[in-house]
Amino acid sequence: MASVSLRNLTKRWGSFVGVDNQSIDIADREFLVLLGPSGCGKTTTMRMIAGLEEPTDGEIWIGDQLVNDALPKDRDVAMVFQNYGLYPHMTVYDNIAYPLKVRDTPKENIAPRVQRAAEQVELSGFLDRKPKELSGGQRQRVALARAIVRTPQLFLMDEPLSNLDAKLRVSMRAELKHLSRELKITTVYVTHDQIEAMTLADRVAVMKDGVIQQLGTPDEIYDDPQNLFVAGFIGSPAMNLVNGSIANGVFSSADGTPMVNIDADDCSSVTLGVRADDVTAIDKGQGFTDAVVYAYENTGENTLLTVLCGGQRIIVRGDRHLRKEQDEVIGITLNAANLYLFDPESGLRLRDTGVRDNRSR
Amino acid sequence: MTRAHFKKTHLKRSLIKLLQTVLILLATLIMLVPILWIFLAAFKNHIDVFQLKLLFTPTLQNFLTVFEAPYHLGQKLINSTIVAFVTVLIAIPIATMAAYSFSRFKLVGETAMLVTILATQFVPAVVIVLPFFVMFRDVGLLDTRIGLVLVNLAIVMPFAIWMIKGFIDGIPIDTEEAAMVDGSSRLQVIRNIVLPMAAPGLLTAGIFCFIIAWNEFLFALILTNREAVTLPIGLALFKAEEGDLWNLLSAAGIIIMVPMFVLALLIRKYFVQGMTMGAVR
Amino acid sequence: MRDRTLKYLLVAPAVLVVFATTIWPLIESLRLSFTVGRLNKPGSLDQYIGWENYTWAFLYEPAFWNSVTVTAIYTVLTVVLTTLFALALALLLVPGGRFRSGVQTLLILPFAMSPALIGVSFRFMFNPEFGLFDALFGVMIPPLADVSWLADPVLAFAVCVMADVWGWIPFLTLVLIGGLASIPRETLEAAQVDGASGWRVFRDITLPQLAPVLAVVIILKTIFSLKTFDQIFMLTNGGPGTATQTLSHYIYFNGMKYGQIGYASSVAWLMVIPMIFLTYAYARYVFRKN
Repeated sequence: MASVSLRNLTKRWGSFVGVDNQSIDIADREFLVLLGPSGCGKTTTMRMIAGLEEPTDGEIWIGDQLVNDALPKDRDVAMVFQNYGLYPHMTVYDNIAYPLKVRDTPKENIAPRVQRAAEQVELSGFLDRKPKELSGGQRQRVALARAIVRTPQLFLMDEPLSNLDAKLRVSMRAELKHLSRELKITTVYVTHDQIEAMTLADRVAVMKDGVIQQLGTPDEIYDDPQNLFVAGFIGSPAMNLVNGSIANGVFSSADGTPMVNIDADDCSSVTLGVRADDVTAIDKGQGFTDAVVYAYENTGENTLLTVLCGGQRIIVRGDRHLRKEQDEVIGITLNAANLYLFDPESGLRLRDTGVRDNRSR
Repeated sequence: MTRAHFKKTHLKRSLIKLLQTVLILLATLIMLVPILWIFLAAFKNHIDVFQLKLLFTPTLQNFLTVFEAPYHLGQKLINSTIVAFVTVLIAIPIATMAAYSFSRFKLVGETAMLVTILATQFVPAVVIVLPFFVMFRDVGLLDTRIGLVLVNLAIVMPFAIWMIKGFIDGIPIDTEEAAMVDGSSRLQVIRNIVLPMAAPGLLTAGIFCFIIAWNEFLFALILTNREAVTLPIGLALFKAEEGDLWNLLSAAGIIIMVPMFVLALLIRKYFVQGMTMGAVR
Repeated sequence: MRDRTLKYLLVAPAVLVVFATTIWPLIESLRLSFTVGRLNKPGSLDQYIGWENYTWAFLYEPAFWNSVTVTAIYTVLTVVLTTLFALALALLLVPGGRFRSGVQTLLILPFAMSPALIGVSFRFMFNPEFGLFDALFGVMIPPLADVSWLADPVLAFAVCVMADVWGWIPFLTLVLIGGLASIPRETLEAAQVDGASGWRVFRDITLPQLAPVLAVVIILKTIFSLKTFDQIFMLTNGGPGTATQTLSHYIYFNGMKYGQIGYASSVAWLMVIPMIFLTYAYARYVFRKN
């Protein structure tokens, strides 16, 4: 078990920058998730920690050792790959035993440890099978068992659930969470799925274009996004972002429709962020402003209304009994206590820059 | 459109289908006739073979005669087998090492090396055989199996490297990375993971190269004359004063081609890929 | 061992073998092409005479030009005929049906045959007294009934072309079947629904999508046609006279029969030049694929 420290880590291929001078400190036993869209540098970061990719610049520390020049085998990490990377010519038993065998573990120690790892992932009955005789979920478990059969300093997981179907993913996610809290080993987990990130992580690092946009607990990332990218990336549905201006304590959208009262300085160009849960739909004329229903969707557990207001689409989450028709005119009210303001140019949250949104105070 | 019209279209379709079948069978027949003719001739006696007949009393005598004096086909068979086998045994390990490196690493001058290796395949054999003849004459390698193995490597290596590279490219890199993280050195990865996974591919490439070496003609024609003569050159033995001994030629022909047919059928899925070096899959 | 050392160690033996078995003899034959180079004259392999061998070939050797012409016609005919027949056969086989897999398996056979043996077998088939093809042609085309194919310059050449085409159709067919099979079915179906006739579908949809594969097989076949030796050697040995003497055969004859290694090397190098262009064209397709 160990802490991990990335210092000014950079990866370039020619002129393409994969990871741009990033630093993170990961505490011992922490579960850190690297979250971002494809190509954001999250997998590259992880592969550099594993030693599968050489950093162009910067330092990687595992525990108190600088591992930049260490081979993967000497870094004492275990990794679960997106496509599992199972050895197709070996049985499940041999797959799980391989990390032990190749590290010259005494023979008599191997069998019980393989058994125990297989039990932990509920694979005991499949040890004689070959990977191609297993279902996707079972293969995933083999990959997991292979990682936990030793007690490495660090777990690395590269989108381990992305090849599973939706239902299996939910149950494996819970198992993974259970296992990680039980094992208490430092883990770096890469995903593009924000639900996985939110549910599994102690802390989440949201990445884009090789740069960490925000590093924080799931609550911080959700409640206090630092910029437009994080605000738009986290949450489902994504946060509503409306361009407009503020004058005399009223935010109006770009075409001049007043939308909400806001206690902030005047500003000619600003982006307002509001989550679907913080918009209420009521009858026409009853809200702060009127809007036209563009689409009504019933997901079963709740309803989503897409309304046109001030020339922009806004998504409203309603309870599961809400019924509206397309083209119906309704009233909406934004929850003034939960608004975010961003600079449309830089994308940064406006906190102490003259204009302050309600949440920043 | 009327029903009659549909009926007519239907009839036309059936006719086209029939025509297709006939053409395919005809083409297949043309492809097979020369081979079948050799098969027939090999079982004819020395009188029947000089007549165009399909019905005759088959004999196995030809297959015995070719192994006797003065033909001694057995010696050629041994030569061919040893030369082809040793060529493959040397070529495949060397090619595998190179193919792995080309497949998995970025090397300085990689493209240049790969193009050169590809290009050597297209160098006419007559061009390189002349210097080899001069050199072999000077160092005493003329008419030896070792000499033949050496020049055969020239034609076999490019195929082997490109073919095996194709197979290794198809092995997911995940598996190797997993093994490295699990604690393997690069050489352990190659031994424990890559070789077992690539084994069917290596066997395929080996068989492919064996066929090429077995059928090789020009090198053997120029670089051997008594001791190291291989089967294809052995065919020239059956020209007698009174003309070609077709029954014996055919028997020898069968001994040359039937083992290759068996091997070719074993790897038929990869034949095209091998010949085109992956330009067509 | 670190990868950055290992990766070069792994390719080293292969590079060494390729160098020793191909690059060195190529360079050595280039050197020989500038020498007197007589096998039976000691020292003549180091006796330099500049471009004399080349000028000799160009200016004083009708046989050289003959072999160039023979090779050129031979190459054009075999490439065109093999490609056309193979394309037709592939188009017949691709729709599937009962025979496809069986025929495809049989197609491997001629290709696994030693070219020398193909030469022998065609000599057999066209024997004037008991050759099967000789007899069949005699029945189908009566004027050809009494000709002795291999004794006639033009017909002997035709037999060489036939043997070559026969030997290569299977391989080209297999490649083209692969190419045709990889054309997305939907594009063909869309064209049919759009109202194109069978011929239009072939011309507008199939052919353009098959073009890269077609280019590859044509280049490959051209290279192999230019190099042809084994078959011709066993079939006609260049004859009658020099009617079927290809460049390879001409080089072999001058180098080995007359012992003129220097002269033969110069002609061999003249043959390498078109190969370089063809190889370049071929390599482009290979690397586009990878």
